[in-house]
Amino acid sequence: MKYVIIGASAAGISCAKTLRENGKDSSIDVFTDEAYMPYSRPIISYYLKSYVEKDNIYLNSPDFYKENKINIHTQCPVTAINAEKKTVTTAQGEFSYDKLLIATGSKPFVPPVENSENAVNVFTFLDMAMSEKIKSYAGADTDAVVIGAGLIGLKAAEGLRKICKSVTVVELADKVLPSILDDKGALMVKETLNKNGICVRLGDTVARCNREGNKVTSVTLKSGEEIPCSLLVIAVGVRPQTALAEEAGIKVNRGICVDKDTMETSLKDIFAAGDCVNSTDILDSCEKIIALWPNAVREGKTAALYMSGHGEKDSGSFAVNAIDFFGQQICTCGLIKAESAQELVSLKNGYKRLLVRDGRLIGFVLIDDAERAGMYTYLIKTKTPLDTLTGDLLDTPSFMMFSKEVRTERLTGGVKV
Amino acid sequence: MKKVIAREEHCLNCKLCEVYCRTAHSQSKDVIKAHLRENPVPVSRITVQGDNMLSVAVNCRHCDKPACVEACITGAMQKDPETGVVTCDESRCIGCMTCMTVCGFGVIKSGKFAVKCDLCQGEDMPACVKNCPNNALVYVEVGGAE
Ligand SMILES: Cc1cc2nc3c(=O)[nH]c(=O)nc-3n(C[C@H](O)[C@H](O)[C@H](O)COP(=O)(O)OP(=O)(O)OC[C@H]3O[C@@H](n4cnc5c(N)ncnc54)[C@H](O)[C@@H]3O)c2cc1C
Repeated sequence: MKYVIIGASAAGISCAKTLRENGKDSSIDVFTDEAYMPYSRPIISYYLKSYVEKDNIYLNSPDFYKENKINIHTQCPVTAINAEKKTVTTAQGEFSYDKLLIATGSKPFVPPVENSENAVNVFTFLDMAMSEKIKSYAGADTDAVVIGAGLIGLKAAEGLRKICKSVTVVELADKVLPSILDDKGALMVKETLNKNGICVRLGDTVARCNREGNKVTSVTLKSGEEIPCSLLVIAVGVRPQTALAEEAGIKVNRGICVDKDTMETSLKDIFAAGDCVNSTDILDSCEKIIALWPNAVREGKTAALYMSGHGEKDSGSFAVNAIDFFGQQICTCGLIKAESAQELVSLKNGYKRLLVRDGRLIGFVLIDDAERAGMYTYLIKTKTPLDTLTGDLLDTPSFMMFSKEVRTERLTGGVKV
Repeated sequence: MKKVIAREEHCLNCKLCEVYCRTAHSQSKDVIKAHLRENPVPVSRITVQGDNMLSVAVNCRHCDKPACVEACITGAMQKDPETGVVTCDESRCIGCMTCMTVCGFGVIKSGKFAVKCDLCQGEDMPACVKNCPNNALVYVEVGGAE
């Protein structure tokens, strides 16, 4: 069996690993246009703030790929998929496949910002190459401006705070992390950012860059305010990278359309996984892009199991996210709002907000109160009816909330002792 | 693989498992010093849940399909293909706590690194089992888990 994987990140590498676990003799070729061996994308902000060394960004040791005969082709973009001939065209020539995985991930969405074109100090923040560029460009006298207070924008801002004289984040929405936090949670995070020296401008955006030659020197906001700026990061969002699939005739609707159980695309023997696909959220049955690492890993694995004929239905997507900013710990899962859902809130330790609908947990936001957070995730994933549990759901979850049968079954895995 | 199995009927809520787990994962390996004098403070990887009426000790299940490994964003959390033991490589962990957010057993604790049971690798028997006064914890060969 010949496997080809496009993209060597979360989805691509978990697919390759799983393919190898399920077959010794197949050939596995993984293509990436990046110059690095597979690394952790979320770690680029930790690299920026010098929390990790460059040697520690990689997902596996180089030996791992050798031992498992997984051929990683770096700096080798795939430029076309020929589904009829079952080949891909790459910078190193044509490669044929029996089964193909598209794991091309996200690309930054860069809205037109007046006068920002071709400036040397305007960056995005999505890959290691950019992180290195920003790190070598930024200095103690840098005034940094970040457009976008989503996960990526704030991670960039946190990293830059370690280096720069000033950091300002400008966000169009009326709160930070608008896609994962409710108002109260977002306010707490904003306070932490402010306390740590990051200025946040909400409900505003950069209308225009002002420059000297090829350098941006300040930005003018929609509100009229002018902020000095010697480094601009545009982090307003990401878009699924689907051009290759589209050109090959694969059905795309924002993300690549896949069978939610198998990850197969509209073309036979071509699978897709990760940020580039439409995932089906088990909590609201909506198709959406779930641009998160664990989701990409799981989908890559599911695809591999079907590609190698060991099919096992995908266990289903939902968002789970854990991040910290300046030591403030934020864990979120599932939905942040839903019709006819009830909110349970506790401020006992930090901030805990549980979202309940039809007697089941469908989402949570936990800020500095995340002890045993995964037990809530379990309740969400398994859609456990809450009336089968005892105790206060807002207390730190414990095995004592389950019935004796469930508790014993889960803890012993059915082993009799 | 061998796993620690808890028998709640026998659990006395004495928390000695926690004490000896913490000691086993301390620098000094000394019960008193581990509790009073060490910085960073050693953390127990097993937790007794419940009260004096009914309690049970909970630690990592070393799952067949560990959610923590699947979710780890750096590759620090790994399941050893031979021993089945799930451990966190502290040199690669960034403390993001994605593992803690997905572990359905709630057995990963947060800190600079993810802290979890390693079955006292290198020892014949995990410290929690060895020091349980009422055999509420046993170390037995089992099949899979979740
Ligand atoms: C700064 C930052 C922080 C993040 N933090 C978190 C976090 O804390 N938690 C979390 O869950 N998620 C986080 N994410 C999101 C997470 O990184 C993504 O969800 C994940 O990387 C998606 O994996 P993927 O394999 O689908 O695609 P990607 O990681 O996007 O990788 C796709 C790869 O394919 C390559 N490629 C594309 N087209 C081609 C082609 N034609 N030929 C060859 N190669 C190609 C790309 O260059 C890229 O290397 C973060 C992202 C960023 C940028």
